Amino acid sequence: MTSEPVPARQVVRSQARRPGGRASTPALDDLYEPDAYGRELLTSLMRAQGAACLTVLLPALALLALYPLLTAIFPWLATAQVLGLPLTLLILGGGIYPPLVLLGYWYVRRAERLEQQFVELLKEQ
Amino acid sequence: MTEPASVIAIVAVTGITAIIGARGVRVARTPADFLVAARQVPAPLNASAISGEYLSAASFLGVAGLAMLEGLGALWYAVGYAAGYLVLLAAVAAPLRRFGAYTIPDFAEGRLGSSALRRAATATVILICGFYLLPQLKGAGVTLQVAVGGPVWIGVVVLGAIVTLGIASGGMKGITFVQAFQYWLKIVAIAVPALVLLAVVQHPPVSTVTGPAPPTFAHRTAVEFPQPEVITVAAVVDVTTSGEIDGVARHGPLVLTKGNHRVGSGATITFPAHSPAPHVAANPVMTGAAWTSPLLQLGGRPDHALAATYGVLLATVLGAMGLPHILVRFYTNRDGQAARRTTAFVLLLLGCFYIFPAVFAVLGRMEAPGLYTSGQTDSVVLVLPRIMAGGELGVVLGALVAAGAFAAFLSTSSGLLISMSGALSHDIMGGGVRAFRSSAIAIGIVMTALGLAVLNISINVLVGWAFAIAASTFCPLLLLGIWWRRFTWVGAIGGLLLGGLASSIAVLLTIMGVGTTGWPAVLLSEPAIWTVPLAFLTMIVLSLVSARAIPADVTQQLLALHLPERVRLPSAAVRELVAQPGS
Repeated sequence: MTSEPVPARQVVRSQARRPGGRASTPALDDLYEPDAYGRELLTSLMRAQGAACLTVLLPALALLALYPLLTAIFPWLATAQVLGLPLTLLILGGGIYPPLVLLGYWYVRRAERLEQQFVELLKEQ
Repeated sequence: MTEPASVIAIVAVTGITAIIGARGVRVARTPADFLVAARQVPAPLNASAISGEYLSAASFLGVAGLAMLEGLGALWYAVGYAAGYLVLLAAVAAPLRRFGAYTIPDFAEGRLGSSALRRAATATVILICGFYLLPQLKGAGVTLQVAVGGPVWIGVVVLGAIVTLGIASGGMKGITFVQAFQYWLKIVAIAVPALVLLAVVQHPPVSTVTGPAPPTFAHRTAVEFPQPEVITVAAVVDVTTSGEIDGVARHGPLVLTKGNHRVGSGATITFPAHSPAPHVAANPVMTGAAWTSPLLQLGGRPDHALAATYGVLLATVLGAMGLPHILVRFYTNRDGQAARRTTAFVLLLLGCFYIFPAVFAVLGRMEAPGLYTSGQTDSVVLVLPRIMAGGELGVVLGALVAAGAFAAFLSTSSGLLISMSGALSHDIMGGGVRAFRSSAIAIGIVMTALGLAVLNISINVLVGWAFAIAASTFCPLLLLGIWWRRFTWVGAIGGLLLGGLASSIAVLLTIMGVGTTGWPAVLLSEPAIWTVPLAFLTMIVLSLVSARAIPADVTQQLLALHLPERVRLPSAAVRELVAQPGS
C-alpha cells in the first residue's frame, strides 16, 4: 500500500444555486423547521411531484405492458400486417418511440409548472 | 477477409479519441474535478454526451444481431433501453441532481448515513460495470474479426489493452465533448448504411421475412466459419467446400446430407442459390410467422414468451437508472430542471437511434441468411453493407459501421472502467491517483480474461444481465431513497445484498448451462421478473422493522432532494457541504 498520508474522505455535494443569494421569506424558514407545518409543506410538494411522476409513468407502463399481453391473448396480432409490413416491425421498430418521447416532454412541462406553483405558494405566505 | 478501409477507420476512431482524451489531462477523482464538471453544459450537448456513453456494443451490434437470431421480439431490449430514460426522467433525474451526490455510493451514504451501505453500494457498482464490460469486449472481438480476420479473442485483448492503458495513463477521460461526438458518430455510422441498404434492396421485404420456410440463399453464397460449429442441414444440398467438414479436410464439391455436420474453424462452404440456409444446431430455426412475433422468444422457443418479455422489459426499463457510469453525467446539468430537460432529450436521441437496428435485423434475415449458418448473427450490422452493396460503396459503408462500432466500445468501456477503478480505489483502497491507476490495470486484466470466457454468448444477452442486476439493486435503492421517508440503511443493505446475489446467481447458473427449457430457463435467464420485486420487498420490510435507523435528518435530506433550487435557504447550501471523517 501507499506510504503517503490518506486524506480524509469527503462526500462531495454540489452547492445549491440561488439567484443573487438573497434572503429568504419567512415561509421558507418554516419549511426547514422540524415542526409539523414544515413537514406538511414538504409532504405536499412530494405528493404533487409524485403524482406528476405517476401520471406519466402509468400510461407508459400501460403502453409497454399491454402490447405483449394483447398479443398473447389474440395471437393474430403477432402476424398482422399493415401497409405490407409486419405490425411488430412498425411498433417495436419505431412507432413506440414517439408516444414515449411525447410523454417525456409533457412531464417536463408539468413538473416545471408544479414547481412554479410551489414557489408562488411560498411567496404568498 | 482483411478490409484495409475498416482497419483504417478503427485506428482513426481510436486515435482521435485518445488525442482528445489526452488533452483532458488526468483522471483523478478529486472534488475539484467534479466541480469542474459541474460547469454549465447546454441540455442538447449534455444529452448527446449521455447518449454517447450509453449506446454500447449492445445497441450498436447486439440488438440487430439478437433480433435477427431470435425474432423481432428481441427489439423489446431496445424499447426498454430507451423507455428506461422515461422512468429516470420522471422519478430520479431532478431529485438526484438537486441532492448533489456524484456517485450512487455517495448518494446512499449521504441519504441514509451509513458507511457500511456505502461499501455495499461500491461492491454493486463493480459488479454491474463488470457484467456490462464483458459484452463490450466481445463486440470489439467480433468487429476486429470482420475487419482483419483471425480469431475473435484478438479483438477482446486489443480493446482491453487500449482501454486499460488509456485510463491508467490518464488519457481517455470521459469528456463531455468526446462523448457527444461519439453519439453523432454512432448514429451517422448506423443510419447512413441502413438508408443506403434500404435503397438498394431488390425485392419486397415481406415475402422473405414473413414466409413460412426458413430463409433461403438468394444467390450462390460462400459462408465462412470463423469458429468451429455444428450445423443442421434440412435437405440434401450440393455445395463447394474448403476446410474441415465432419473431421475431414475437404476441398471441392461435396454433397451435404440431411442432418448435423461438424464444420472446422476457418472452413468455407459455398451454397447454391435458392437453397435453404442451414442453421447452427444449438440455435433455433424460426418460421417467418414466429420470427415476426412481438413476444420475446428465448432461444427461439415460444414457451413462456410473455414472462420472458416482461422480464426483459423490467430489467431494461428499471436497470437504465442503475448504470453507475451514466448517472455521473447528470451532474454536468445546471440544476434539477436542466437535468429533466436533458433526460427528455436523451429519450429523443435514443428513440431516433433504435429505429436502425430493426432495419438491420430485417435486412439481415432477407439478405444474409449465411449468418444463421455460421452462427455469426452478432456481426450482421458489420457485414451487411459488404454483402448487399458490392464494390467501393460496400467497402466505405463497411468502414463506417466498423468505426461506429468501435466508437461504441471505446466510449462505453472507458466509462465503465473509470467507474470501476474509481469505486475500487476511492472506497476500498483509500484513494489517490496511484491507487486509481493500479485499480484500472488490475481490473482491465481481470475483465479481459473474463471476456475471453463468454465469447459464445450473445452480446445483447450479456448486456441484458447487467441491466437485470442494476434493476434488482440500484433501482429500488434510488426510488425508495428519493420517495420514501421511512427508508433505512438496514433495508437498503439487505435489498442490495439479496437482489444482487439472487440476480447474479441466476445469471451465473444460466452461463453454466443450468435450466435450458421451461420455467427454469425463463426465471434464470430473465431473473428481473422475480429479483426486482424481491429487492423492493426486502428493502421495504427491513426498513419497517428497523424504524429506529431512520436518519435523524431525514427531513433535511428529502428537502435537499425535492426542493427547487430557487427556494433554497442560504444555510442549506452550507449544510450541503458535508465533511465526513475517513473510515
